[in-house]
Amino acid sequence: MYGGGTIFESKGYKELSLEDPEKLEAFQARIDRGEKIEPTDWMPDMYRKQLIRMIEQHAHSEIIGALPEGTWITRAPGFRRKLAQMAKVQDEVGHGQLLYSAAETLGKSREEMFNDLINGKSKYSNIFNYPAFTWADSNVISWLVDAGAIVNQTANAKGSYGPYCRALERICAEESFHLKYGHDAVVHLATGSPLQRQMVQEALHRWWPPLMHFFGPSDKISVHTEQLMRWKVKMATNDDMRQQFLDMYVPKIWELGLTLPDENLKKNYETGLWEFTEPDWEEFKRVINGDGPCNKERLAVRKSAEEKGAWVRRALLSPKAQYVQPLA
Amino acid sequence: MNTPLISLDPRITRLGLYEVIPETLVPKSPLDQFETYEAFFQKKVEGHYEHTGPVHAPHPELAYLFAKEQYSRRGNTCTGIAVVKTEDIQATAFTDNDKNIYDLIIPRGEIDLSGPVKSFDIFHMKKRGQHHEHVGRVEAHSAEEAIYKAKQEFSSLAPVVNVWVAATEDIRFSTPEEKSFWDTLPLKKYREPLAYKVQGKIDQYKKEHSSN
Repeated sequence: MYGGGTIFESKGYKELSLEDPEKLEAFQARIDRGEKIEPTDWMPDMYRKQLIRMIEQHAHSEIIGALPEGTWITRAPGFRRKLAQMAKVQDEVGHGQLLYSAAETLGKSREEMFNDLINGKSKYSNIFNYPAFTWADSNVISWLVDAGAIVNQTANAKGSYGPYCRALERICAEESFHLKYGHDAVVHLATGSPLQRQMVQEALHRWWPPLMHFFGPSDKISVHTEQLMRWKVKMATNDDMRQQFLDMYVPKIWELGLTLPDENLKKNYETGLWEFTEPDWEEFKRVINGDGPCNKERLAVRKSAEEKGAWVRRALLSPKAQYVQPLA
Repeated sequence: MNTPLISLDPRITRLGLYEVIPETLVPKSPLDQFETYEAFFQKKVEGHYEHTGPVHAPHPELAYLFAKEQYSRRGNTCTGIAVVKTEDIQATAFTDNDKNIYDLIIPRGEIDLSGPVKSFDIFHMKKRGQHHEHVGRVEAHSAEEAIYKAKQEFSSLAPVVNVWVAATEDIRFSTPEEKSFWDTLPLKKYREPLAYKVQGKIDQYKKEHSSN
C-alpha cells in the first residue's frame, strides 16, 4: 500500500543544465527505446535524487501502513481472518524490505533511510496518520487504501528504473490478495446485520476524506514534473490516478447501498470525469506536517521498535562486516 | 516536555512511550542493518535459479532464512532458495539491450592461473529490467578466468546485457531435505485472491434491495 507521495519533490540535486549534454541525451534515448535503467548506469543527479525520495517514501509507507492493520490481528473476528490479516501485514512489511533495497541501489543506505523516517525528514503516505477505530476501519484500509495503492503501483511498475520495477512486479502480485481480502470483508459487513452495516458505513465516512487526499493535490504542470514524466519516474498525474480510482471503486461502493460523504460526487458522462467537492488541502498539509491524529504514535512506535531491537543487532554484527549496496 | 503517548490500542499505551522529540534521537550506526546478500529462487525441481532480490543479514544462515520468508512465502511452488553475499559476486558492466556483453569481454594480457581450480556459478540478465538467471557452472582459478570460460561456454545462447559470477563455495543452496519447507505452500489458500469470492453475496444483496 502506498500513495500521496508525489507532491514531495526532492531538493538539492545538481541542476540539469550542469549535466553532460551528451550523456543526458543517451540516457533519454535509452528510456525512449523502452530500455530500463540499471544501478551502475550513468544517470542525472535529479533522476537519482527524485527516485530515492519516491522509493524511500514508498518503503516507509509500507512499514508504517502495517501499524494500523497490525493492531487488529489479535482482534480480527475468527481464526481465518486472523490468519489472513497476519499474512497481509507480513506482506506489507516485506514490501518495505523490497523497496528499501531498491532505493539502496541508488546510493542511500537503509540506516540513513530509517534515521530520516524517525527524525521526520522523510515522509510516508499521509493516510496512515489516521486511526483505525473499529474492525471495519481495518477492512476499509485493506480494500480501498490498497486499491489506491494498486492504481499508483501499477503505473509506477512501467517506469524506467529496473530495481524499482522488479520490486513492484512482486508487490503488485501480492496486493491482489489484499484487495480481494478487503473487498470480501467489507461485503461481509455490508450484507450482514444492521449493526455490522452501520459499522462499515461509519468507517467508510471516516476514511473517505483521507482517500480523496491519497493521490495528492492536482499537479502543477511544472517543468520539473514534465521532466520526470519524460524520464518515466512519474507515470501519471495525481488527478489521473484519482479519476481512475473513483471510476473503479465508487460503483463497487454504491452497489452495496453504502453512501459516501460527498453529495457532489458523480460521474459526468459528457466529460467522462468524476466531479467531487474539492478535498480540504489545508488539512492535508497540516497532517503531513505532523499535526494529524496519529503522527506521533506512528513514529514513537517505530522508534521504540528500532531501539528495542538495537542490542540484538549489535550482538549479531560481525566485526568484519562491510557495507555493499545491493546489485539489482 | 515529554507527553505520555495515549493510543486507541491499550497495548500500545501500555508500552509507556512518549511523544517523540526529534532532538533526542540517536542516529543509527553504519551496518546496523547488516551486510547485503542476493537471493535466488527455484520454482520447479530441475528449474534454474533466478535472482529474486536482496536481503540484509548478519550471517549466511540467517540470510537464507530471511530469503525464504521474503521470497518464498507466497505463491504455490518453490523447490529451492540460494543466497550469496553481494560482495562475493563479480558483475560485468551493463550493455544495451541489442548488444551482447560477452562481445565486449576480451582478455587483457595474462590471466592469473596460480592457486587451485574451483567451481563458479554464472548468472545472465537477458534484457534490462529482467532478473538474472542461473545458466551453469565453470571451473576456473579465479572469477576473472571464470568469466572468460563462461564466454566460451555460454555466449552462444541468446545475448545478455549483464553477467554475475560467484564461487560455488560462497553460495548457500537449499539441500534436498529442505525441500519439505515448501510442502505447505499450496495449503495456505487464504493468501491467494482466488480464496475470496464475493459476487454471490453482492448479487443476493442487490436482488433483495432492488426497487421493484
